[in-house]
Amino acid sequence: MRCDNARVIYLDHAATAPPDPRVVEAMLPHLTERFGNPSEPHALGRQARADLDAAREEIASLVGADPADVVLTGGGTEADNLAVLGRAQGTPGRMVVSAIEHPAVRRTAEVLARRGWEIAVAPVLPNGRLDLIELWDLVQTGDALVCVMGASNVTGVVQPIADIAAICAEHAVPLHVDDVQTAAGAELDLSDLPGRVTIALAAHKLGGPRGVGAVIGSGVQSLDPIVFGGGQESGLRPGTEDVAGAVALAAALRIRQGVEAPAERSQRAALRDDLEARLGLPVVGAEVERLPGHALLLTGYRGDTVVRLFDERGIAISAGSACASGETLPDATLTAMDIDDDAARSAIRITLGPTTTAADIDAVVAVWTELAPALHVAAEASA
Amino acid sequence: MIDLSRAGAVAQPDGEGRAGGGRCNDRVRFTLGLVGDRLEQVRFGADACASTTAAAAWLAARAEGGSLLDGARLGLAEVLAGATIEPTGAECALTAVDAFHAAIGDAVARGAVVPADPNRVVVAMSGGVDSAMVLTQTVAEGHEAVGVTLRLWIDPEAPSPERACCAPSAVRAARDLCHQNGMPHIALDLRDDFRAAVVDPFVAGYAAGETPNPCTTCNGAFRFDAIDRVVQRLGASTWRTGHYVQLVDHAGTPLVARGVDATKDQSYMLALVDPEILTRVQFPLGARKKVDVQHEAAEQGLAAANALESQEVCFLGGGALAPFLERQGVTMTPGPIVDEDGVELGTHAGALAYTPGQRRGLGVSRGTEALHVLRIDAPANTVIVGTVGRLRRREVSLRDVQVRADTPRIDACFRMRSTPVAGRLEHGPNATGTVYLETDAHQIAPGQVAALYDGERIVAAGIVAG
Repeated sequence: MRCDNARVIYLDHAATAPPDPRVVEAMLPHLTERFGNPSEPHALGRQARADLDAAREEIASLVGADPADVVLTGGGTEADNLAVLGRAQGTPGRMVVSAIEHPAVRRTAEVLARRGWEIAVAPVLPNGRLDLIELWDLVQTGDALVCVMGASNVTGVVQPIADIAAICAEHAVPLHVDDVQTAAGAELDLSDLPGRVTIALAAHKLGGPRGVGAVIGSGVQSLDPIVFGGGQESGLRPGTEDVAGAVALAAALRIRQGVEAPAERSQRAALRDDLEARLGLPVVGAEVERLPGHALLLTGYRGDTVVRLFDERGIAISAGSACASGETLPDATLTAMDIDDDAARSAIRITLGPTTTAADIDAVVAVWTELAPALHVAAEASA
Repeated sequence: MIDLSRAGAVAQPDGEGRAGGGRCNDRVRFTLGLVGDRLEQVRFGADACASTTAAAAWLAARAEGGSLLDGARLGLAEVLAGATIEPTGAECALTAVDAFHAAIGDAVARGAVVPADPNRVVVAMSGGVDSAMVLTQTVAEGHEAVGVTLRLWIDPEAPSPERACCAPSAVRAARDLCHQNGMPHIALDLRDDFRAAVVDPFVAGYAAGETPNPCTTCNGAFRFDAIDRVVQRLGASTWRTGHYVQLVDHAGTPLVARGVDATKDQSYMLALVDPEILTRVQFPLGARKKVDVQHEAAEQGLAAANALESQEVCFLGGGALAPFLERQGVTMTPGPIVDEDGVELGTHAGALAYTPGQRRGLGVSRGTEALHVLRIDAPANTVIVGTVGRLRRREVSLRDVQVRADTPRIDACFRMRSTPVAGRLEHGPNATGTVYLETDAHQIAPGQVAALYDGERIVAAGIVAG
């Protein structure tokens, strides 16, 4: 899409989605005249409570959950932290965490490991999907939790969550699914999942504001709080409720999970497929289900260099690996998929959104057609 | 914008430089095509991160069409500003700067010639405080100063290779100082030459049971020859170093003389420098005291003011001699430690790592006498020890004798800043000679340089043969 800065083609929706005007419009009254505290008994407070309840009900219904199982948080990372640490308040035990988790889960698990927890890492196959046979062997009855990303923010590969939930239920182990990325492009339905499941969401990946997230699912009931205060959100997320944020999350989910979402996803997938076909670059995870607008491509050149060259030509995309302090470390997800370091460093991530157009795809192809020969010359001459 | 239009390589380059590696395996290569001293074509190759690639592309665009010395003026600060690289990308950009300067240095090494300028002075820079001060002084005098630094070979397995005087960090420090002063800097990569001219003879000397002094070979011949070779190419007629020595005239020939600061005098190290080269060299610090120089450097805020001074054999990089020699293929075999009568007093781990005069680390005794290494019998792998009295000598034979001025009597030094011993030199055939000392000298080992002074000036020099 073209942003307010009309010269930028924004194809980094996985990093954050541009604010959807419908979401902004929905939340605005709650930032102005409908400002009451839902805990107060006066009219403004009652109004705020009603708005919050309505938003919670809509959020729950859009993902197939019970409204009582929705805990609103201050963003996706906080949601993941609550879902993981909320099961680790007792004596250290054991947890299974997939090899491709977002830092919001991975780093939290690392902290638990330092506190004496045993963290078992569930491997992925080279196609990016969790190795279910390994998972079956890895999960033990008595484990505190299994964590699996619903869809990778790096590759866009969607995990077979129903199968994973069945394995967890079989062992009576709760499952947490980081669906922060998934919600933007795949249907979420918790109603059919067996066992105790939680998911994490973040509004800003869906066209909503930053700082708004949620933990949702039947597993919420058995979480312990990790912050303490006034008892809001069933005591799991105390603090005066962010009604505007809840309304925004509901509005954003309505767009991404509502009745019009499937058609939009197909359209996005078609544009992505067209892009991949025209660029002709190796695609990570091509053989399995991916989020519809998500393309992780191996360019053969340094990803961050390609990203800068696109940026200079008015197209915002992302690199698969970040350069930090003079060291470009390959992304952990790609390493877990057995992609070699140089190939991993060459990855670029192009992520489309609902507003992406065919003209945007044409622009990307044109830029790559211009850049590829020069990059080839530069790389050849470096040897 | 990263301008990729100069990506590629000059077919038959007049200069070529590379940099990269490390954990991100970035690679940059520059090739230069010269017409006279004009950088007619500057091409780069980069398989590297955005900051490195941006820096390389900017350098190519900026340097092309300018002179070689203008290119040699381009430093990291200018690259970061010109290529709009965030400070976090500075380390990456440095890879491109290193590769570019390697190409510039290579062009000079291959014979590129810069038109002469009578105001231009070459300053030999080690990256340390002394040569830094010479540079700033030269600039303050209104000269165009061209810094030249040699990149020399360092044992890659050394524990702290950055301690060496000609390590990459020292080259960068010298380059940065030149660029801060708006002056060009040339780094000559002489790692292979240095290995052949200094390191290999050092290893061979030890293997033959000698105690070679690589610093005099390096300072006295290798470095002076290398820099003097490029001075004229860089369009200068004189050059300067930060050595604490002076020059005195002897019948039209310059002789090396002691620096005013006796505690820092480096004349011994320069005993072997060719007098013809000395006609073009100036030593601005020879009349100064090191403490004053350091004080002034600190006042000027020179980063090199507090830099670690390299004291030991630089290419060992802080490592021990014996394992270095072993890595270079010298076999260390345990053998006997005997006294002069052949009585075995103990065993050593390898005779070649011992130095005549050495007392510590022998682990042998004979009664209450303190024993020193007297000499090494390399073929027999034997260390011969004796009392300190047996180390004293009155007669020292020399080879490769060079005489600058004939004087009836001399004061001989066999080590840096050792107390001179009075005597006379008697010439033998084929540049040999014998020094007859008036009083005892000790700790004299074959392979060391003998600097023979007449008062403050060095009138002859040679290598101790036995």
